[in-house]
Amino acid sequence: MKYLTKSEEILLLAIWRLKENAYGVTIRKMVVKMTGEEMTYGTLYSALDQLVRKEYVYKDIGDPTPERGGRRKIFYSIAPKGFEALKESQELAKTLWGGIPNLAFGEGKTS
Amino acid sequence: MKKPSYRVPRMAHWLLNRATKSHDRFSVLGDYEEEFAAIAKDDGLIKAKLWYWRQSIHSLFPFVVNKLYWNLVMGYTHLKLTVRNLKKQKRYSLINLSGLTVGMACCLMILVYVFSELSYDRYHEHADRIYRMGTFFDVGTRSLRGAISNIPAGPIIVQDYPEVQNVVRIKRYMYRALVESEGQKFFEDRIFYADASLFDVFSFRLTRGDEKTALEAPYSIVITEAMALKYFGQEDPVGKMLKLDNRQTFTITGVMEDVPPNSHFMFDMLCSLETYLTNNPERRVEWMGDFNNYTYLLLQENTDIDALEQKFDELIDRHVGRVFETLGGKMEFFLQPLTRIHLYSRMEAEIEGNSDITYVYVFTAIALFILMIACINFMNLSTAKSATRAKEVGMKKVLGCRRYQLIKQFLAESMVYSFFAFALALILVKFSLPVFRSITGAAMNVGFSDIPWLLPGLVGLIFIVGCIAGSYPAFFLSAFRPICVLKRQSVPGISASRFRSTLVVFQFTISIVLIAGTGIIMNQVEYMKKKRLGFDKEHTVVLQIMDESILRARKSIKEELKRHPDVVSVAFASRVPGHGARHNAFLPEGYNLQESVMMGAISIDDDFLATLGMELVSGRNFSEEFSTDPGGAVLINETAVRTFGWENAVGRTIRELDGRGVNKRIIGVVRDFHVMSLRAEIEPLVIENDPDQFDCVAVRIDPNDVPSTMAFLEKTWKRIDPAGTFDYFFLDNTFDSQYRAEERLRTIFSYFTMFAIFIACLGLFGLASFTAEQRTKEIGIRKTLGARVSGIVLLLTKQFTRWILIANLFAWPIGWFAMDRWLQNFAYRTSVGLETFVLSTVLALAIALATVGFQTIKAARANPVDALRYE
Repeated sequence: MKYLTKSEEILLLAIWRLKENAYGVTIRKMVVKMTGEEMTYGTLYSALDQLVRKEYVYKDIGDPTPERGGRRKIFYSIAPKGFEALKESQELAKTLWGGIPNLAFGEGKTS
Repeated sequence: MKKPSYRVPRMAHWLLNRATKSHDRFSVLGDYEEEFAAIAKDDGLIKAKLWYWRQSIHSLFPFVVNKLYWNLVMGYTHLKLTVRNLKKQKRYSLINLSGLTVGMACCLMILVYVFSELSYDRYHEHADRIYRMGTFFDVGTRSLRGAISNIPAGPIIVQDYPEVQNVVRIKRYMYRALVESEGQKFFEDRIFYADASLFDVFSFRLTRGDEKTALEAPYSIVITEAMALKYFGQEDPVGKMLKLDNRQTFTITGVMEDVPPNSHFMFDMLCSLETYLTNNPERRVEWMGDFNNYTYLLLQENTDIDALEQKFDELIDRHVGRVFETLGGKMEFFLQPLTRIHLYSRMEAEIEGNSDITYVYVFTAIALFILMIACINFMNLSTAKSATRAKEVGMKKVLGCRRYQLIKQFLAESMVYSFFAFALALILVKFSLPVFRSITGAAMNVGFSDIPWLLPGLVGLIFIVGCIAGSYPAFFLSAFRPICVLKRQSVPGISASRFRSTLVVFQFTISIVLIAGTGIIMNQVEYMKKKRLGFDKEHTVVLQIMDESILRARKSIKEELKRHPDVVSVAFASRVPGHGARHNAFLPEGYNLQESVMMGAISIDDDFLATLGMELVSGRNFSEEFSTDPGGAVLINETAVRTFGWENAVGRTIRELDGRGVNKRIIGVVRDFHVMSLRAEIEPLVIENDPDQFDCVAVRIDPNDVPSTMAFLEKTWKRIDPAGTFDYFFLDNTFDSQYRAEERLRTIFSYFTMFAIFIACLGLFGLASFTAEQRTKEIGIRKTLGARVSGIVLLLTKQFTRWILIANLFAWPIGWFAMDRWLQNFAYRTSVGLETFVLSTVLALAIALATVGFQTIKAARANPVDALRYE
């Protein structure tokens, strides 16, 4: 199977952390908080569409709220396939980093 | 919670609204608004607005890309559905596709035709500044508007008027000339004299020789590349000699590119006009002498044509004013744009027969009508088949499909059809264009690459056809109410067929008009061929005289030719009927100079009337017994007598207004006969007996053994004129060839009629099989209750018959009106007969019933058990 890309991984983790409250605004805020970089809604929604298409996440339509000008939210939640992919990604990271001693970067700095 | 009092920036909001795809737009906009509200509360409105703008603009590109992506996915789905439907209903798809294909192919062919017609003479660099000068005469009772002009006017005009930059005069060498070079002899029909300035005015290019001097000296000749190949093969012809008519020898001074076929006149060889003027020096200054010339002027840019024509009046007044003062009447020069000659000029003495803009319009209309018939098929069949699509529509709607999405889907479907049909049509056109070219005789040398707006035009065609064909089904099908459809209640489209009937009636109206039109054109062509012409055109061979010196031995020639038992009689004449007559002003007895009459004139010998079976109404024929007959006596025709208002013409005199002005005695009146085609009215005619003008020999033969008679004639003629060539034609052939344009029209019309009927019947076939399918159960029940096969067939065909009968109500008046107007072009014509229309109706009905019949009979004969088994 194909591995997740970094941005997919970040998005999925953000949705997972937000649990029940993962929709446009909160996901964007979480991503910005985690990466420290600005992200526009344009990129966000195209990426989310891709995740939906790959069946990593589900879409649910929520209730309208007044501060949104009476518009509904779309809530995202992780689908089983998404969990699987996350897990695999984590294991891959573990294997990849397994043999490398901590602070391997420090060596580079000193030399 | 109270709604926040501040609003998001409107422009940015609108932008976002456009850019996002529809199905998560609400969520996106909601997110924006939520954050906007939060920022506004914390940091103030301005910051919030700035944020909103920045976010929108940064997001725009990803949003649009995303939207396009999903649209593509949708498009692919539409395509997949269309192809599935196409496969599922093979018969309907085939009918739809073939109809649209043929319709589009017709359209494309007409497009090429129209474009080539419009392209005539436009290849000249200065095409928009070249004008042809024609002459208008008004002499007494007749006036004449001709494409011709005299010789001296051209050079004077260039000298006197600065707005005229250059001039070229062209003159036909002869209708036919024998060209000889290095032992090779051919007859050539397209030889002209031309001024040296030809290459400055027109954009003909020499591949060999010098354009400046090629046509300057007398006896120089320029030939086209085709001619060079014909006479000299690969050799360089420049400097070689050509002998014309055994009389004059020309030196070849240049080889020219072949004249493009989209030219209003074509030529193979050009002699210098200087040759003609050297041989006939008086022509240089004679204003009223020779009008068989064509003058083309190259004008400066932005010349006022009307003003220039006014100036010509003064010019004419200066040179020939006095002539017209005494004669009465007047003469004017007028200008015609070069590019309009081919389509708009139908004057006397054109160089070649031109086309007519009306035909361009008519054919365009026919092409569009045929395309419309094909589109109607598509509409009718898709709505008729709506029952099968109804469930699909209902299901989609239940699952949340919006109406506009359905419309989009159906339009996409018709676009796909349109595109396929177009691809097939292109292939069809590629193979049938040569055929079309040969039957229309149009130049059609334009390739697709010559049409600048072709690509957008064709894409437009696909799009328009798709839209027209798909529009009605799209709106019709998408309007289904899902509940009705899914509950299998009444499905609209089976009963609501009024729209469909209207369309079928429309299709057959067009078809019947086309059939009737073809019929009337056929009638007219037949009429023109069969009409009594006042002479017998059958079994008459006409021999051309090349060497006028043989005319001295006329008597012995006649005797020699008559030696064969099948040669009935032999006569000499200046021209035979079908080749027209020369024209001049004549003055009948008792008329004063101001009342001269424009008349045609031919010259014949005493055997001519008998040879061609012409009738003498009163008086006597020319005879050898009267030595004064040649030059002293004339015959006139009945029309002339009527024009002069005479009771008895014999014994009166008539005078030609030429230099000599001899009064000639009228010795007889000939029954009217046609000198020209039946398009033109018979005009007053003078028949002289002047041997100097004789140019051909008419031989009447018995058609017992034509080949042997012809062999005899050839052998004898070679003995009479050893240097010449045996050049002959049959009178009926040449006379009928005048109607080639009409015959061509008939052919084109019948082809397009066939296409129209074919497509209309395709649609009918589809509808018939659909109806039969729909009513299977009804038929089954009727049969179990005792209905007979014939009764059911009648029941099923009744509707179609009614449609076609209603179509007649429209077709008859339209057809009558249109064809009556066409017939007005002919001086002698058939009437628009009722029988043609009755016949077209019967024909249309027969074709339609034959189309419908098979399906109907099959349905009617089906075993009712099969139909009712599932009930």
